[in-house]
Amino acid sequence: MKKALDSIVDAIDIETFFACRSEDEAKELAEALAGELNLPHGDIVFLEHKGWGARVRIRSYIHRPGDHYRWLENEEEK
Amino acid sequence: MKSVLLAPLDPVHDNAIKLLKRKLSEAGYEAVSMPPGTSAEEVVQRALVMQPDAILVSRTLGYKVAETLSHLVDLADAAGIHDRTRLGVGGMAITKEIGAELGFDGCFVGDLKIQEVIDFIENRAASSAVSASEGSARVKPDITAPYSYKFYDAGIERSLQQVTGQILDWVGNKTTDGIERAKVRAEMLECDAAERDSHANPQAREALLKRYIALCDPEIQAFYTQGQLPSGVRWLGKSEIERVPGLFEGGHEPFTSLRHTQSKPLFFSQYGTGCPVMDVVHIKVAEAWGIDGVFHFDPSWNAQREGLLEGYLTHEHDGTILTLENLKFIRHFMEPYTLWNVRGHRGLNTPETQVLGHAAGADLFKINIPYGGTAGGTDPERLTVDGVYSLMLAAQYGIPFDIPGNDELSGVPPYKTFAGLLVMMALGLRLGARPIPKPLLCYSPYMTINGRMDDNMIDMNLAKLAVWRDIVDTPLWPGEPVGFMTHTPDRVQSSMQTALHATLAATMGVDAVTIASSDEAYSKGPISAQARVDTLRAVRDELRFQGSIQATLSSAAELIKEEIHEKIGETLEAIAQRGDFVASIYEGMMGNQEDGLYPGRTGRGTVRNGA
Repeated sequence: MKKALDSIVDAIDIETFFACRSEDEAKELAEALAGELNLPHGDIVFLEHKGWGARVRIRSYIHRPGDHYRWLENEEEK
Repeated sequence: MKSVLLAPLDPVHDNAIKLLKRKLSEAGYEAVSMPPGTSAEEVVQRALVMQPDAILVSRTLGYKVAETLSHLVDLADAAGIHDRTRLGVGGMAITKEIGAELGFDGCFVGDLKIQEVIDFIENRAASSAVSASEGSARVKPDITAPYSYKFYDAGIERSLQQVTGQILDWVGNKTTDGIERAKVRAEMLECDAAERDSHANPQAREALLKRYIALCDPEIQAFYTQGQLPSGVRWLGKSEIERVPGLFEGGHEPFTSLRHTQSKPLFFSQYGTGCPVMDVVHIKVAEAWGIDGVFHFDPSWNAQREGLLEGYLTHEHDGTILTLENLKFIRHFMEPYTLWNVRGHRGLNTPETQVLGHAAGADLFKINIPYGGTAGGTDPERLTVDGVYSLMLAAQYGIPFDIPGNDELSGVPPYKTFAGLLVMMALGLRLGARPIPKPLLCYSPYMTINGRMDDNMIDMNLAKLAVWRDIVDTPLWPGEPVGFMTHTPDRVQSSMQTALHATLAATMGVDAVTIASSDEAYSKGPISAQARVDTLRAVRDELRFQGSIQATLSSAAELIKEEIHEKIGETLEAIAQRGDFVASIYEGMMGNQEDGLYPGRTGRGTVRNGA
């Protein structure tokens, strides 16, 4: 069965809203979420905290330019 | 006249039916519609009387879809209607699978495409096939063709005559390693062409390569003589190259322009992910979402070394390595109608870039001496010599060149940047080339420090476009990209700013616009494919929103325009009086250190007298 992650051209972005008290807490949650989702090298692209929560976008590159792209490989090579 | 019976098999929704009735009537069909809540029995009874060529029914609500629609098909079959009348279905609740399963002859999903409906009624090839053939027949527009380059400001024209004369006198027979490499490269390409025609002369090719290597920096020499790749660079594997065509099996999405009702502007975006394979994928994404043209961005080290590499090369840094093989590989996968710009406006390989770009099929070049000769760029003396030679190549190849005005990003006021663009324009025209100036629509340091956009971003940007119309009859191409320094990493905000700036430019009737992705302000990683889609969708919607609306300058914008115009004239007059274009760059007449600009240093002291 083909893995969906292998078909991601380059980056996966997770957008969500955290209920949290501060920007620092939002950052910690964003990093923790990337870990819980097993996303390699999760990075916070955008984070805005207002009042009691934060809008956040987390990015992880599944394939970086210059990598060997799994979406270009045959099934048996993966 | 063919007739069509239109019926909403839905208790409420009949918008699509009303729209179809209008469009089909306009197309010359007799279109009869029934009201919402019509039953399958009523449709068949009406059809028995009317005997239409087609029945089109719609369904928006999602419950009892299959039951309602299959009942209609059964009744139509039983009454013998289906033998002579085509049955079509569409609406929010419909999928292609449902339509086919239930026995309809046609099924319409997504946005209404009237040509598709007409093809169905006429029982001919599907509209997608028609669109595809129309797509392949699209002709690449020549952005410069409608313009005479006639100057309306005699004072500015006079100054430009003087300045360009001074530049050409100064350049004289000066040359550089960059120019000599371009000449050798052109000969090498001729050799390669002769080899393909079975007139190979390996000794001549080898001798040329030796001459080429002698003109390169040690790092590039090591590539040719020892096979050493620069740090972080690797060869693309044969299997990687061979598998790319498989990604695009099944053809290309029919081109759907971003433009709503207008024929201009064309939209461009840059690529240069570092990897030619990734570039191809990003270009195909941009094409599928409506881009008209793309730019090749090379790595900054490409511009700072004497000499270019060869072969299929990739690396994990910004900018895709400029080799003939990489360029041809990328070009090969573009749609024939996609315009392609290979930029070479700033580095030590500017002339050779034009040679390779031409050999690979480029449609546009990018050359700007004052911009490329400042900030982190090339020494002005070196780039003036190389730039003039490059303009001559652009003229020889018949390839228009664009002139980016991105020195504004350092803090240079628009009038100084525009003076530089005008010099490049006049220089190109004098050498027989066709220029396209690119005033930058941006929130530059000059604007923020001087409060020039404190109230709004419209007056200044409109004035920066309108001033050109008062000076010269020229194409205009705001870039690079529009909205520079307004973007944040928030993709909604970023896409909106791109769309607002792009469509503001469209209201001024510009010829082309360069747009960013929504990753424009994200600096910690490469641009993602989805970020390209974001801004293309945003621009499309904004163009739909504004239609054919044209901008009118406010009194404030008129004043800004007059101010810029006057100062351009003064700047050009001062440069002409200085009598030395290169010295005027060193001395900051088109942007000084106070503005945030300083002369480039790469390649300093490398100009020599030619034979």
